[in-house]
Amino acid sequence: MILITRKIEFSASHLYHNPALSPEENRRVFGKCNNPHGHGHNYTLEVTVAGEPDPVTGMVLDLKELKDILEREVMQRMDHRFLNYEVAELKGQIPTCENIARVIWELLEPKITQGKLHRVRLYESADLFADCYRNGAC
Amino acid sequence: MAVKIELGRRYRFAASHRLHTKKLSEEENTRIFGKCANPYGHGHNYVLEISVSGDIDPATGMIANLADLDSFVEHEVIEVFDCRSLNEDVAAFRQTVPTTENLCIEIFERLKSFPKAKLERVRVQETANNSFEYAGK
Repeated sequence: MILITRKIEFSASHLYHNPALSPEENRRVFGKCNNPHGHGHNYTLEVTVAGEPDPVTGMVLDLKELKDILEREVMQRMDHRFLNYEVAELKGQIPTCENIARVIWELLEPKITQGKLHRVRLYESADLFADCYRNGAC
Repeated sequence: MAVKIELGRRYRFAASHRLHTKKLSEEENTRIFGKCANPYGHGHNYVLEISVSGDIDPATGMIANLADLDSFVEHEVIEVFDCRSLNEDVAAFRQTVPTTENLCIEIFERLKSFPKAKLERVRVQETANNSFEYAGK
């Protein structure tokens, strides 16, 4: 089995706030990330697909097709957006790195038909990232 | 849940070490460890990457609060190793050669009791070209 990884970058803003908690609890739990006007990150997304190389083309998948899927599903939806207000899939959820990675997995998984989605890794910064796998795959 | 989520976090510390064991002769130490057996030791800027897993708390969107994770790692690892001589200042390396393999194991053992999430693995980068991973036995 071969793993192939494609990387993209997008920039977006977010804030962490749970309306079920008091303002004091929000500040205690989320710290500076609770700032009401939000803040932003340069996110780096690494998408890894697993599969066997096609004997004719030598490819696990057509990278152009993966690039188009990432453009459609991730870039158009999240790049230069305020994640809390503009991304329907994140409505009602705190847009942490964990939740964004999970939403990206759910968006990509049914669209990838050549090979199988193996891992979604989303970096919020060089020092913080979330990995999403199929349950039981690791 | 159909997916498994892990949270990864990166930390940095700088420390010195010497790869040398009294169980071997000086010639054997030099042959096996090369420049790393230099008697006065040398140092690295280590990068520690840890991954923890667990359910996402719907109230916070988090597997674990980063402030809790950071303070645990600060106390268990950074305060113990940063700006130290691994051989001289860390009890675990009095008898054990402080290779980065052994450093991974020591860090995993120190972090595995993190109460808010399950430690999956630690990866220690000794230089940009060398890294080591340990996920427990």
